[in-house]
Amino acid sequence: MNTPSVGQQPHGRGHSEGHGHDLAGLLAQVACGDHAAFEAVYDQLAGPVYGVARKVLRDPAQSEEVAQEVLLEVWRSASRFDPARGSAAAWVMTIAHRRAVDRVRAENAATAREQKVAPDIGTSEDVFELVDMELDRQRVRRCMGRLSGLQGEAIKLAYYGGYSYPEVAGLLGLPLGTVKTRIRDGLIRMRDCMEVAP
Amino acid sequence: MSVQSHDLHLLTGAYAVDALAGDELDEFERHLDHCPSCAEEVRGLRETAARLGLAAAIAPPPWVRDQVLDAVNRVRQLPPSGVRLISADGPRRRRRLIRRLPRPIAVTAMAAAIVALAVLQVGTRHQLQQAQSANQNVASVLSASDAQIQLGSSAVGGTVTAVVSRHDREAVITAAGLPAPSDAKVYQLWVISPAGARSVGLLPGSSAGATSPVLAADVQPGDQLAVTIEPAGGTKQPTTVPIVEIHTRP
Repeated sequence: MNTPSVGQQPHGRGHSEGHGHDLAGLLAQVACGDHAAFEAVYDQLAGPVYGVARKVLRDPAQSEEVAQEVLLEVWRSASRFDPARGSAAAWVMTIAHRRAVDRVRAENAATAREQKVAPDIGTSEDVFELVDMELDRQRVRRCMGRLSGLQGEAIKLAYYGGYSYPEVAGLLGLPLGTVKTRIRDGLIRMRDCMEVAP
Repeated sequence: MSVQSHDLHLLTGAYAVDALAGDELDEFERHLDHCPSCAEEVRGLRETAARLGLAAAIAPPPWVRDQVLDAVNRVRQLPPSGVRLISADGPRRRRRLIRRLPRPIAVTAMAAAIVALAVLQVGTRHQLQQAQSANQNVASVLSASDAQIQLGSSAVGGTVTAVVSRHDREAVITAAGLPAPSDAKVYQLWVISPAGARSVGLLPGSSAGATSPVLAADVQPGDQLAVTIEPAGGTKQPTTVPIVEIHTRP
């Protein structure tokens, strides 16, 4: 059931300041076909959506396409957003990240099929460089800094690099099970850190 | 808790950052349906992952805003799932029945030109039924719960939009802003799979800049949708480099 959530406490953790109730309320209006509300949602989230696509895909033209797809998807399926299941920002960013990752994997699969070679998943250094340059949100940076080296690297490669966890294991030269738990433990630590941080 | 489900539980983090793929992804998603604590953990970790995304914001070029705000005028919105008639498998079953009926033309591009105008113009009752069947198929892809919108920018200008239902193995394709093809040329739509290219038909002429929707059936995950410029009437296999290719989700 989709209930407009203005004034309702979202169930999810990590209440994101500035995005939150206000965005959830806007999405409820978007679901009713309100173009002005959609413009407001666009103005709040186009930057993060495009930013995530750029992190994962690198290529500006493809990132622009993915950003457009995601924002159109937000328009199309706004009625499916359920504030009881998390924040509006997380709903949109989940669509954005998954879409960017899908695009990378589809292209890798097509390349592998055409060339019969394994996809080149690149090196880890250039990912870190981009991430460090653009991680401007203090809290994320600070909480990221509290992770162990491996936790941080695994999370950056998976989230910003768009690599699957077996690919991350290959890049870091670690067993699958280790990467699986590092990603989970790291995210849990970040979640707890961001909940208590100002 | 079995060893196996304990192992699966450890995948919440990888799942929250979309780092699962293939069978493992399917298996975990099945597990989620029966593991409320996993679902709760995924929810929380998704919020955290979203913060990583928010921290990475970059302003997109201004024309993206214009394009998106213009495109929403052409994208139909999904109804709320609470009042949605299509739920569980009731209507799906009905759709399957429709599908089992012979629909030789329903899967071809020209019959999938579903605009009301076309329905009005067809002559016989049989043709009318075929057009309605195509119409229903297009509508069902557009309202499929797993439908994804995918965009491709054409090399000659304009945008091709595909709504792909992975579950139904179908896609609905429209184009906007493509220049009119030169004399004796047409735009032809293809589904490209490892087995080769299969023609879906010609893109119908555009009115007000956007073509009417074309239905492509039997689109397997990972297939590409491509448009080429071909001689009038179309060809059996593509003879030119595609002006746009859309990779569907593998």
